[in-house]
Amino acid sequence: MAIIAVTCLLLLVFQKVLWLVVPFLLGLILYYFLYPPVRSLIYSGMSRDAAASVVTLAFLVLLALAVASMMPRLTSQVSHWQDTLDRYVQGGTQLLDASLRSLESHWPTLARARLADTVAARLNQGAGNISDHIEPVALGIMAWTPSLLLAPFLAFFFLRDGRRFKRFLSAAVPNAFFERTLYLLHEIDRTARAYFQGLINLTILDTVTLAAGLWLLGIPGPLTLGVICAVLAWVPYVGSILGGLLVVLVAATDFPNDPAMAYWAIGLFGLVRLLDDFFYMPLTIGKSLELHPLVTVLMIFVGGAVAGVPGLMLVLPVLGVVMVVGETIGMIVTDPRLMARHRHARNLRREQVSSDL
Amino acid sequence: MVNLFRLRKTTPRLERLHTLSLFVNLTPAELRIVDGLLHERDYLEGEVIFDEGEEGQAIYIVASGEVLICRQEHAEVGNSRAADSAMPHPRRRQGDSGRVAQLGPGTFFGELALLDNSPRSAQARAAKPCKLIVFFRDDFVSLLDTHARIASKISRELARHLGARMRTMALSMGARQHIV
Repeated sequence: MAIIAVTCLLLLVFQKVLWLVVPFLLGLILYYFLYPPVRSLIYSGMSRDAAASVVTLAFLVLLALAVASMMPRLTSQVSHWQDTLDRYVQGGTQLLDASLRSLESHWPTLARARLADTVAARLNQGAGNISDHIEPVALGIMAWTPSLLLAPFLAFFFLRDGRRFKRFLSAAVPNAFFERTLYLLHEIDRTARAYFQGLINLTILDTVTLAAGLWLLGIPGPLTLGVICAVLAWVPYVGSILGGLLVVLVAATDFPNDPAMAYWAIGLFGLVRLLDDFFYMPLTIGKSLELHPLVTVLMIFVGGAVAGVPGLMLVLPVLGVVMVVGETIGMIVTDPRLMARHRHARNLRREQVSSDL
Repeated sequence: MVNLFRLRKTTPRLERLHTLSLFVNLTPAELRIVDGLLHERDYLEGEVIFDEGEEGQAIYIVASGEVLICRQEHAEVGNSRAADSAMPHPRRRQGDSGRVAQLGPGTFFGELALLDNSPRSAQARAAKPCKLIVFFRDDFVSLLDTHARIASKISRELARHLGARMRTMALSMGARQHIV
């Protein structure tokens, strides 16, 4: 119970400092992504500082190259973005309208309720002009950019000084609790590593499955859509729904005369969700946290209720770390022998410093 | 960047590590890798380092000072296993424990913790103010996975040490004929 309470409290605090938590989290993901090549370089004889510098620099160069190669295409399309967005939103609305009218033709009750007209009116009323929505999104992206640029620098310092930090922490712990603390730090590192590496593996599996499925359906840009949806899925439930909506919009707009394509896309998303829940997740993240599936689902709901979308994203790693810390601190505090040893060592130190007084 | 793989000069700390029996076969480059995994702790005379029955997580190497290894006397109990299970954290003082050994600089103890997580078979206590180098089991296990050459050199020294100890124990029990 205390573990759940502490997790909720941390989520509330994290929500207040989201500008720091999000780059920190992305930095951690990047750290675990870049850690294997850094480790290989260290064991081939390179110093840790040099290995961290080389790998981070190589990553930044690759990122810059990728952005530079995409830039001409992106800048040429900037002027059409608003039109494109309008087109995709219209495509989605038309699909929804066509589906509801088809339902109305089969179900007289729905026809009498004029469901399609009501929904269309509500959508027109709620959506307004697309340019009204673009401005806050663009401002949000601009506000978040400096914070997000912190992520690679944080990852570099994690890679370079992570072990020093661990030694510094363990050096600050009294002798009596030293071994247990080392074990605790190792377990936290193991939990976080397993979770984030699991997340990276899950993203790759999701991307491959979605891209293959979308390619088979003939939807344009399957790899890009697959990557976007797999990254959106980092936010449990909400992310998957957003990813699904995105693909349905693309399918509905690019194949306006073939509504079956949108239904196939929905079917594909349903299939990938099933694969995620029953195969991919247990293979990657599920095993890392050693949480009961019921607890996982309940905590996701609790995280969402306490801290909204950031809570959904943060709840599982925070819960994993709080569980390990809570269990170990509980073991130390309730061990009378360790506490007695600590008191004995403190007395010895007191005697030593006051022996000549 | 060109000199990334160039051999660097050894430091006094690495030279001191090289004199320790566990790391005697390691090259300076290998010692540097191991050094990144080691922790240092200072203990006052009489301070308990670990208790008998406690789950072992690390091996300790005496850098300076002296360490007393002592075991609880079970003669009157009859069955030491039963005594251990009944008393998971036995409280002992220096005077009422059976002394097993007194270790000086360069020696190591608690080595079984590197091999498994079985309970400590004796208590370790600082006989004089001492500085200990600590090698955590999980760091050793990751070294086995990622740098088997270094880990195998350390394992060989560990095996030698354990073999010598077995021989000594067998000789002290008069079972020389069983030793190959």
